[in-house]
Amino acid sequence: MSEILQVQNATKTYMMGEIPVKALRGVSFSIKKGELVSVLGPSGSGKSTLLNLIGALDRPTDGTLIIDGTDISTLNDNQLAEKRKQVGFVFQFFNLISRLDAKANVELPLMISGISRSERKERVTDSLTKVGLAERMTHKSSELSGGERQRVAVARALVNRPAFLLMDEPTGNLDSKTAQEMMDLVVKLNEELQMTVIIVTHDQEVSARTPRTLRMRDGLIVSDEVN
Amino acid sequence: MKARDTLGYAFGAIRLRKLRSGLTTLGIVIGIAAIVALLSFTQGFQVAISGTFQEGLSTDVVTVSPGSGGFMGFGGESDFVFYENDTDIVETVDGVVISAATVSNTVTAEFELMDRMLSLTGVDFAAYEELYSTFTTELGEIPASPADGEAVIGYYLYDPWDNGTHLVELGDTINVYYSVRNGTVLEPVNLTISVVGIMEEIGSFGFGPSDTGMYITIDSALNYFDTEEVDSLAVKLESDDEDFIVAISEEIEELFLNEVSVTSATALLGTISSVLAIVELLLAGIGGISLLVAGIGIMNIMIVSLMERTREIGILKALGAKGKTVLAIFLAEASLIGLLGGIFGIGLGAFLANLFGGMMGGFGGMGGGGAPNGAESFMSITPVVTPILAIQALLFGIGVSVLFALWPAYRASKLMPVDALRSE
Repeated sequence: MSEILQVQNATKTYMMGEIPVKALRGVSFSIKKGELVSVLGPSGSGKSTLLNLIGALDRPTDGTLIIDGTDISTLNDNQLAEKRKQVGFVFQFFNLISRLDAKANVELPLMISGISRSERKERVTDSLTKVGLAERMTHKSSELSGGERQRVAVARALVNRPAFLLMDEPTGNLDSKTAQEMMDLVVKLNEELQMTVIIVTHDQEVSARTPRTLRMRDGLIVSDEVN
Repeated sequence: MKARDTLGYAFGAIRLRKLRSGLTTLGIVIGIAAIVALLSFTQGFQVAISGTFQEGLSTDVVTVSPGSGGFMGFGGESDFVFYENDTDIVETVDGVVISAATVSNTVTAEFELMDRMLSLTGVDFAAYEELYSTFTTELGEIPASPADGEAVIGYYLYDPWDNGTHLVELGDTINVYYSVRNGTVLEPVNLTISVVGIMEEIGSFGFGPSDTGMYITIDSALNYFDTEEVDSLAVKLESDDEDFIVAISEEIEELFLNEVSVTSATALLGTISSVLAIVELLLAGIGGISLLVAGIGIMNIMIVSLMERTREIGILKALGAKGKTVLAIFLAEASLIGLLGGIFGIGLGAFLANLFGGMMGGFGGMGGGGAPNGAESFMSITPVVTPILAIQALLFGIGVSVLFALWPAYRASKLMPVDALRSE
């Protein structure tokens, strides 16, 4: 299987006022197509920073980070924005636009990509069907439950046919039953559609469901285990 | 992102903030309405003036009146007076074709239906005919050797209501009078006038014959007014070239030892045009200030919107939107506000201009017979909202909105997605 993400000795240093803070101290790993991986670590371990890098939201201070063949540390802002279309980002707080209905939220990435109306409609329906929300397409996000919102967010991430799905605490705002259903969906997407999924979490129960777990602590990867 | 989608997205954002967007739009509406109302009104005014000017304008005729300097021949104080035979002196100047003395006074005419104040002017009919092409009759004729008391009258005296009800008919005899003081009582001085000619309709503004004037021979007039002095000399020149008029005017002024002033219709038209241009500029300036205020309002709403929607911008960017996409969305919002404001503003402006026009028209109508040369004091004004004005106003509204949205939109486009997503 080909490698869809390669991280080599990536570091990230923030300036907190005058003081430099090393959030990532040199992280290396790679992820192959079709994998389901969790990045597990407590808060402050640098996993959010890593998430931003993998999501092409930010560039590493040093090292390389290759998404689907492109080193993002060399890209300018516009190229980086373009690259984000290949990443299916699922945010912790859903980050749906509340004035839009489920359909329009899922349509947004396609609209940004300038895809035609008819194709958009088709892909939105397809995407929402995959997450089991075909019947609730015209509901505003404020009318949806937490689990449903999260599924809309997943549908939105899938709609651009990304190289991989990147999920930030996908169960963080859900009750345990809904969280369970969410993980079922993720596993199903991975197994049935061979979707590569990277989950960043602090929840052991979530990481227990992924075949591979990267553990982070203090800006470093401390273990890379197959469950 | 496609333009249509950008507009659709922007429209959705505007619709969500109905009240705030509405108030911001109102700012643009007021600004555009002010500009449209004022400009269309001044344009209407110009049309009214130049329209009446063109009809009655003899560009090669200048008026010589006593008194030096002063604006448009008024204001210069002088004891200098003209006499009827001063025309002979003027005619010695090279370039002068012919001249005629005029003497004019306000009298009351006793028509069958009503009494009316009007301007009675004494002129040499033959010379006046040659001076002004408008001094020509529709009914009757201008007598070649007029008898005492034979008069040619303006068209409005004949048909003042424009409905076929005539104040006086050709051949009628009417009495006119003015009053003089004799001790403590006012005594009327009467003159019997017989109407031998009714002039063609001229238009209300200009030099020379007037629609509301009554004309008798200069000798009758001097006799009737019991004077030897005349008011002014009308002088026809060989050419209406501007430089030529200026040169001859100076020569005439020198001839009368600079105790007179020479006014030409061309110069007056120029003066009026430039005054109007200044007025227009001033009014447009007022509109401009209101648009400036509206623009700052737009900048304000955009900055507030930017702060409120930082997270949304972060989401858009995280989903692959480039800086220019975010910029386009914000500018589209501003354009829509400008477009809406512009459309409503043009409507409101046209309405206001017509309202003003109607009010001004109310002051006009008949009257103003006392003015020199019988010019009407006002004319009816129909505001002109030309398509060009409308398009300009619309573009201006959009332009102002976009201009003031540029900076907030640029700031939004430069937000880092990581930071934007972190904001609550």
